Amino acid sequence: MEAPEAVRANPFVPYLATVKEITDLTPDVKLFSIELNDEAARKSFDYKPGQFAFLSAFGVGESAFGLTSVAYRNSGIEFAIRRVGTVSSALHELEPGATVGVRGPYGNFFPMDEYKGKNIVIIGGGIGMAPLRPVIDTIIDHRDDFGNLTIINGARTPRDLVFASEFEAWSEAKDTNVVLTVDAGDDSWTGRVALIPAVVKELKPSHHNAVAITCGPPIMIRFTLAALKELGFSNEQIVTTLEGKMKCGMGKCGRCNVGEKYVCVDGPVFNFAQISKFIEQF
Amino acid sequence: MAQFISRKDLLTWLAGLLQHRTVVAPVIVQGNVLFRPIERTEQIVFTSEKSVIPPKEWFFRQNDVLFTVLKKDSGTEISPTVMEREAVLFGIRPCDAHGMAIIDNVFLGNPADALYAERRAKTTLVGLACIDACPGGFCSSMGGGPQDPSRLDIMLTEAGDGFIVQVITEKGNALLASARLSDSSLQAAAPPELDKAPAVGIAKPMERFFNHEYWSRVADRCIGCQICTYVCPTCHCFDVRDYQAKGKIERLRTWDGCQSALFNRIAGGHNPRPNRTARLRQRFAHKLLYFPKDYQGVLGCSGCGRCVVRCPVNIDIREVISDMQKLGVENAVGSA
Repeated sequence: MEAPEAVRANPFVPYLATVKEITDLTPDVKLFSIELNDEAARKSFDYKPGQFAFLSAFGVGESAFGLTSVAYRNSGIEFAIRRVGTVSSALHELEPGATVGVRGPYGNFFPMDEYKGKNIVIIGGGIGMAPLRPVIDTIIDHRDDFGNLTIINGARTPRDLVFASEFEAWSEAKDTNVVLTVDAGDDSWTGRVALIPAVVKELKPSHHNAVAITCGPPIMIRFTLAALKELGFSNEQIVTTLEGKMKCGMGKCGRCNVGEKYVCVDGPVFNFAQISKFIEQF
Repeated sequence: MAQFISRKDLLTWLAGLLQHRTVVAPVIVQGNVLFRPIERTEQIVFTSEKSVIPPKEWFFRQNDVLFTVLKKDSGTEISPTVMEREAVLFGIRPCDAHGMAIIDNVFLGNPADALYAERRAKTTLVGLACIDACPGGFCSSMGGGPQDPSRLDIMLTEAGDGFIVQVITEKGNALLASARLSDSSLQAAAPPELDKAPAVGIAKPMERFFNHEYWSRVADRCIGCQICTYVCPTCHCFDVRDYQAKGKIERLRTWDGCQSALFNRIAGGHNPRPNRTARLRQRFAHKLLYFPKDYQGVLGCSGCGRCVVRCPVNIDIREVISDMQKLGVENAVGSA
């Protein structure tokens, strides 16, 4: 019997998808390249930098992950996933060819059009680089639309820098400066050993005609915010993407609210003018 | 002249409805009043006692299979949950109908929750007016009332050896086509007086005193048992997880509550509400501050009083509301 319209429209039902490629990015982060099985769905699945989707490991569950790829390249949906919880661990066990579920995209996005002509400072810590990568890719693919690009990327150790294989391509782009830092170096590391906020203070990016986009652990975001404010960035000029426990992505499950705001529908992208009005801590 | 149905004709009407519909009504399950689908009208209990769990569970189930995943040789298939037939929710109290209207904002808002929306559309609500005041109830302070017929399709009010029948909606009118009604000059008893809570304008002090030490004082005695969330007609938070049995995988949606320490903890360990104070305040703030902000002034409480009666340490939402209002008065701008 044909299912009623309302059932087929059940927003919890994911698209079936196939894992095409799995790449180790760090000892605990893998990049999953995924293709939706249904051709029509593949064509209609459009998303913007900063949006997220739920990825299902059937039998274990689903979790929300930032979309790590850009839609316009049409080269598959990518997620950079750190092995932390039950679902991410199950996903890490998968092999190419595995069937997964994808539902989304959800949430708002980085207003890339508003950033045109501006100098962009990207500040990412650890797996926080995942939702920032589509911002970087968009800028590099449309390099003349934007001003200078500074990428400050930190991680616990050199092995934990998630997009290491892409640093060279990024720094070869016009007017682009990639600055790496780690909390603790190793024998082969000759770069910076410093916390991200300290690097921001040292580099002193100008706030004139600039926007700073940051993502990382809450503690890093707090100190990075303070460093940027010291440099003269206004709350409106500092943008972040927040994380929250999520079960639906539609403002219903009541998990990700910060005060009356739902990270899943009002966010995940907020500027600090908005965040400073939050009644609760994120 | 009011329309009237005798008790006997009411049961005959319900028995007739049972032929083609699911009838959900208050029954006794292991000593508790609960709403369950019935097989015979004799199972229905007519009692002024509120159901332990509000009838929202007919629409938003404690456990709901969102869909089933079948792993076959030919590949993975998703099989959607099949919808039930039309239903009648009989004997629902005005406070619980109000509770549903409140969570309609959440579940019917875009995108609509398919299971909830379908059940809601297929169910006719037959209410029972409250003749007696109930323990803990304060519905008339929350925009409803013990005999408030709005948000129902049909309202029945006990009178004589039957019920006065009020038709509220076209859906209700259609359901009554098979009922034997008569005209009657019987009058319903006056609605009972209920406890009061000064809820008007509560969002304001809730916002202003969000960081007041009051919250840690109340939280000191909370034991985090979450009973308030489980008996609440407007609590709607849920968990989604997979359950595997007999070669199939079910994606389950289950009730969840904000009083659990793990509720907001994200993978990696960060917990935005790391202590009892933040969690206790969340439940009150959600209903009395965030709900009106998110849904055009709608308060997220129907005043059913279940949490008041069930709380093992006597945390009382009516008291919280009046304490917040008192803080507002004591700290009125311009007062000395």
